[in-house]
Amino acid sequence: MNAEMQRARHRQMFIFLLVTAGMLILLGRLYYWQILQSHSGYNLAQLAQDEHLQNQILDAPRGLIYDSTGHVLATNVIRDDVYIEPVQYSIDHPNYTQNDLQTLVTQLHQALPAVPVAMLQNAFSTGIARGQWAVRVAIGISDQQSQQLQNLQLPDVFLQPRTWRTYPGGTLAAQILGFVTQNDTDNHGMYGIEKQYDTLLQGKPGSFTAETDLQGNPLTFGPDSEQQPVSGANLTLTIDSTMQNMLQNALANAVKQLQAESGTVVVLDARTGAVVAMAGYPTFDPNNYGNYANQLGCLNSEGVYLNPAIDCDYEPGSTMKAVTMSAGLNQGLITPNTTLNDQGCMSFNDAPTVCNWQDLAYGTETMTGVLIHSANVGAAYVAHNILGASRYYPYLQQFGFGQYTGIADGPEDAGSYRQPGDANWTISDLTRQAFGQSILASPLQVAMVYQTIANSGVLMQPYLLSSIDQNGHVTQIQPTVKRRVISTHAAQLLTGMLEQAAVKGFAQLAQVPGYSIAAKTGTATTQGISDTQTEASVVGFIPASNPRFVILVKLDRPQKAIYGSTAAAPLWGTIAQQLVWYYNVPPDLPL
Amino acid sequence: MQTAPKPILAARRRRQLHPFFFRISPVGLSICSVLLISLMAVLYLSQLGQAVTANQAIQTLHSRQDTLAREDQDLVYQIAQEQSPTYIEEHARAMGLIPADPKSVIVLVIAHLKPIPAGDQHIQP
Repeated sequence: MNAEMQRARHRQMFIFLLVTAGMLILLGRLYYWQILQSHSGYNLAQLAQDEHLQNQILDAPRGLIYDSTGHVLATNVIRDDVYIEPVQYSIDHPNYTQNDLQTLVTQLHQALPAVPVAMLQNAFSTGIARGQWAVRVAIGISDQQSQQLQNLQLPDVFLQPRTWRTYPGGTLAAQILGFVTQNDTDNHGMYGIEKQYDTLLQGKPGSFTAETDLQGNPLTFGPDSEQQPVSGANLTLTIDSTMQNMLQNALANAVKQLQAESGTVVVLDARTGAVVAMAGYPTFDPNNYGNYANQLGCLNSEGVYLNPAIDCDYEPGSTMKAVTMSAGLNQGLITPNTTLNDQGCMSFNDAPTVCNWQDLAYGTETMTGVLIHSANVGAAYVAHNILGASRYYPYLQQFGFGQYTGIADGPEDAGSYRQPGDANWTISDLTRQAFGQSILASPLQVAMVYQTIANSGVLMQPYLLSSIDQNGHVTQIQPTVKRRVISTHAAQLLTGMLEQAAVKGFAQLAQVPGYSIAAKTGTATTQGISDTQTEASVVGFIPASNPRFVILVKLDRPQKAIYGSTAAAPLWGTIAQQLVWYYNVPPDLPL
Repeated sequence: MQTAPKPILAARRRRQLHPFFFRISPVGLSICSVLLISLMAVLYLSQLGQAVTANQAIQTLHSRQDTLAREDQDLVYQIAQEQSPTYIEEHARAMGLIPADPKSVIVLVIAHLKPIPAGDQHIQP
């Protein structure tokens, strides 16, 4: 082998070694990136996958809420949020001037007049300085504004659609419905039906995974997977929008006219316990719930978002006398004609003296007379001298006092009362509870007492939800009997007594021509404040002969008229009149 | 003296030299290969183009579907708003109407009329 050949061999060997070394280095780097780094902190495999794969959460539409006649009470609309892209703007316009920015901002302001130019300019400048890729400058703009912005095709401005919960009736049934929080990440029901049935209404979000093109549009070829969202259930309530609206207007007018602090009205179906209408005042507009965050209802003790019919307890006053009479009648210890000697005040050996309103004396007085005169003495006499604690308290428990009604899973005021065995209970509690003091109950609890009497002694489960439609699978909610509290005979006797109380007693302003009513007024005062600061109420049912509706009206601290008979009774009559008219209830009395 | 190959061996040799049943020169084979590859490429691009077009059509339909869903929700809201008693009352008042007083309703009592069974909604007026 000559020298020339040897040099050639060496060159070949050198090149071979060089290529081999290069290959080894490449192999090493390949191992480093593909094996060592692919699942390390850089998570390169995931980043590479994210680059061309789109994972999207598909929102499930929230279920609608209807009233009993099919009118929509809560629905959804899609509105756009407006975003600007400061960093992208600075990349697209590296040599931009304030004038360029001003031109863009002015155009944006023309489409969004509510957003000041200075704010938009500041959002761009601050965003560029802080390196923000997207800054939201407006939320939930109108369709016209969305269209205008789409037509303008402004650079580095984009629209992001978002679903909003809306309530077409505004304040209609607001305290029954509640509202849905409109946050970026967390939309969930707050208060009322929206909270109680949040899981059902929300549905189940779906997902979508697919390869995308350069613009991020999913490709029809290549691997993909899609799980369709399951829409939220549609709920139908028992309330009737027309009656609810009438009730709210009538209550608002009464509260304003009588200069009361607040008020509550409950209308129930006497046979089923279904809520026909339920209103509180003051109330709120769930479309703008944030504006009411500092407002209070229920004698300024609770937030205005709460439903006062179930969340605002009070001393029922004389409306409780029906409970005392129920206990006596059901145990056969009294009849409507049982008498007592009412001297205006009655002393007890073991309890403080009880007096009637203005110490009025009625002499020999029947039990019906006790209800007609709304005599505290008569009620205390029945509870203390005839029934006693052992035969009285089981009826408070049976009627549901101190217990949740079960109408809501959310906040509900169970009320409270002292009974034997409790630390502070005295016999004075018994005599006072007989006429509605020393006991707290929600308006719905008191209404359910009268529903029991109207329904021949059977307490029903009050309910607001009539049916649930889960994507075509409809579940009807049937009326449910809770328990029999008093006998049919006792209920009939008491109905007759309450009819007399309405005709001859303090509920005369509640009368509806052509219809018999069974009703009782109540005027409760609070210890420690003036006796003129009352909670005036009337509760009863119509028609008394064949009850269709139970109505409770309560006005808190009315100033122009302070008694149940003068403040609440006219409103009760107005509502009862509207109900019989609207539902075509035939008259049961000669006109 | 050279002997002629046996017939089977001769055929095997021919097959090695000319694998096809027809004879083709190397240049011809190259041209055919290029043409075949080009045809495959055209077919692939055609299919890809069709897929992209279909994809764009689907995107357009998706977009249209979203728009229609949005319009549908807006219409549901509009109907709900216009059926709402609050809205109706507001517009009725604006038209000069006033709420009827239920106490002014005149109930006509027709003698000997069979009473309507309570709770029978179907035959009530």
